[in-house]
Amino acid sequence: MPNIVVLVKQVPDTYSERKLAESDHTLDRDSADAVLDEINERAVEEALLLKEAQGGEVTVVSVGPDRATDAIRKALSMGADKAVHVSDEALRGSDVLQTAKVLAAAVGKVEGYDLVIAGNEASDGQAGAVPAILAELLGVPQLTHARKVELDGTTLKVERESEEGITRLEASLPAVVSVGEKINEPRYPSFKGIMAAKKKPVETLTVADLGIDAGEVGLGNAWTSVLEAAPKPPRTAGQRVTDEGDGGSKVAEYLVAQKLI
Amino acid sequence: MFEWSETDEMVRAAIREFIGKEIRPHVDELEHGDLPPYELLRKLFAAFGIDALASDTLKKILDKQRAREESGEQSSAKERGSTSLLGAGGQESLGVILCSELCGVSMGMLAAMGVSMGLGAATILARGTLAQKERWLPELVTMEKVAAWALTEPDSGSDAFGGMKSTVRRDGDGYVLNGQKTFITNGPYADTTVVYAKLDEGDGTPQRDRKVLLFVLDKGMDGFVQSKPMRKMGLHSSPTGELFFDNVKLGRDRLLGETEEHKGGDGRDSAKQGFVTERVGVAAMALGVINECQRLCVEYAKQRELWGKPIADFQLIQLKLAKMEVARINVQNMVFNTIERARAGKMPTLAEASAIKWYSSETATEVAMDAVQLFGGNGYMSEYRVEQLARDAKSLMIYAGSNEVQITQTAKGLLGQ
Ligand SMILES: Cc1cc2nc3c(=O)[nH]c(=O)nc-3n(C[C@H](O)[C@H](O)[C@H](O)COP(=O)(O)OP(=O)(O)OC[C@H]3O[C@@H](n4cnc5c(N)ncnc54)[C@H](O)[C@@H]3O)c2cc1C
Repeated sequence: MPNIVVLVKQVPDTYSERKLAESDHTLDRDSADAVLDEINERAVEEALLLKEAQGGEVTVVSVGPDRATDAIRKALSMGADKAVHVSDEALRGSDVLQTAKVLAAAVGKVEGYDLVIAGNEASDGQAGAVPAILAELLGVPQLTHARKVELDGTTLKVERESEEGITRLEASLPAVVSVGEKINEPRYPSFKGIMAAKKKPVETLTVADLGIDAGEVGLGNAWTSVLEAAPKPPRTAGQRVTDEGDGGSKVAEYLVAQKLI
Repeated sequence: MFEWSETDEMVRAAIREFIGKEIRPHVDELEHGDLPPYELLRKLFAAFGIDALASDTLKKILDKQRAREESGEQSSAKERGSTSLLGAGGQESLGVILCSELCGVSMGMLAAMGVSMGLGAATILARGTLAQKERWLPELVTMEKVAAWALTEPDSGSDAFGGMKSTVRRDGDGYVLNGQKTFITNGPYADTTVVYAKLDEGDGTPQRDRKVLLFVLDKGMDGFVQSKPMRKMGLHSSPTGELFFDNVKLGRDRLLGETEEHKGGDGRDSAKQGFVTERVGVAAMALGVINECQRLCVEYAKQRELWGKPIADFQLIQLKLAKMEVARINVQNMVFNTIERARAGKMPTLAEASAIKWYSSETATEVAMDAVQLFGGNGYMSEYRVEQLARDAKSLMIYAGSNEVQITQTAKGLLGQ
């Protein structure tokens, strides 16, 4: 019966306009509705499928401001059993390395975890590095970009999908898995699940509770820094090719000129 | 209560997500009548576990009744009256939220579901014997099967019981049914239909005064014809039809309660029992229309520019938005008030429920017509959806008791008549 940890993150809704703060390039959290990242819904779904088939327990771990509770509740309403929420002002502006470190400490709080499931990348930061760094810090195998996960006793089998193709990976538990878009279709939380979520335990921790020095985290102590940020240039009108018998070659010429082929 | 609880808001967010992904993309098909709403309703029920919840509740009700009947105990009036399958036990708000959110995009879907569960299944639950409940309800409460509830006839709408012509005559231990019904929601597709008919005892009692009995019919019975969907002004996602009964033979097991002398009174009383719930339900439907109109209008007013500025800057546009806000506050308060009262077990009186139904349906219709006006030519075009909301909202003024009847009943309550 696997003891599963799912990492979840609250992100600005991809359907609303997302902004960075002018002053320090951190996320302007007030500019958009905050939601549970869709890739994390898939991570939760995968954990629930495993639990439904094999038993065990699903714990949600999230690092984020107080209002990330909403994202945690969503995961609990889908069916996760309990949650650990690391919330601390000192964490503001932390980069992937710091975040992974905090996550590793938080995962360590979940006694006897077998499997950590994460999304392959968050829709806001899109660094896509946290699961790998976390696996390093925990000293366990990483099976990233999974499109299929199978658990047979303590043997984990994953189909990893990348631009090069499909790679079949196998590892022994404990391990870290990150899932991609194709892994599953997440369920809607049932009414019963939503009502039950209210009563599920959420442990709220500060970095001090995790034994991490506040001087190691946050924007001021980050290993990486954002030097510049610019909004995406507006979409241009595009170029229309009128087909006067030579449409095909004109399109090809255009693609060559753009170095697209 | 002055706002939705945290749990309510989570439910609302989940329903909105479902509507956005699963219903909005099909609104055109639903509106053109190419897609009956039932598959989507079943999907909705499954997604939120409403089917399992309703099955559990039904099972508990039936187990209790069975145990009681085996011990030979009489049921209390309170238990007989408990007809709520969804939203009981402090969660009255969930059903309300589902109702109003659906009405913002597809009121017909809600009407189809509301009639099947709230009128069809609820009537069997309130009036049926244990065996009848066991026979029809398990598949109805999950929407696996669909129910219709047939009272209205071509010559009797507001005067439903007085003018009713559909007639049953005794035939051995059973009955034979003749007559017709019209404007019946789910009529074209229903698997199970609850039919009101008058008993002709052959003793010369005038038609008007005859006893009203309730029967349950199944699709495909000999002599029972369900018409194709009728064309109508709006509410297109809810199929409405005519029913014809030509010497339909009915066993006694289809007479609800299996007695002509029902403890809960005759068919007239049965229909009246549901009036309060149905009427306050209209307020929840109206709220959905008002919320959606307001949302669409605020967005459009900010974005549509004329004379170099958004139309939101024009005072006559602001007046429309402000009126929508007054409507929203009033109708939402009525809805909150009814939820609180249901929790306290003190439902509104019939006169109050009538006043709520009248006000909220008329207000939603005005708001939606104003929304069409605010959108200008776009408002008159289907693409912008407000014209659909206006056509849908208008139906609220007619069914569940037309508004003139509501006004009359509100006044009767005041005058103590
Ligand atoms: C979309 C839709 C779905 C429906 N679904 C169902 C269903 O599932 N099952 C079912 O049984 N019925 C259903 N109905 C029927 C509905 O209940 C009736 O249409 C309604 O009760 C009004 O009856 P009527 O249409 O015969 O109008 P009438 O009763 O003929 O009314 C005509 C006009 O006279 C007014 N009026 C009536 N009495 C008075 C009075 N005393 N004083 C002043 N004015 C009065 C009315 O308000 C109305 O303006 C549905 C109707 C619609 C439109």
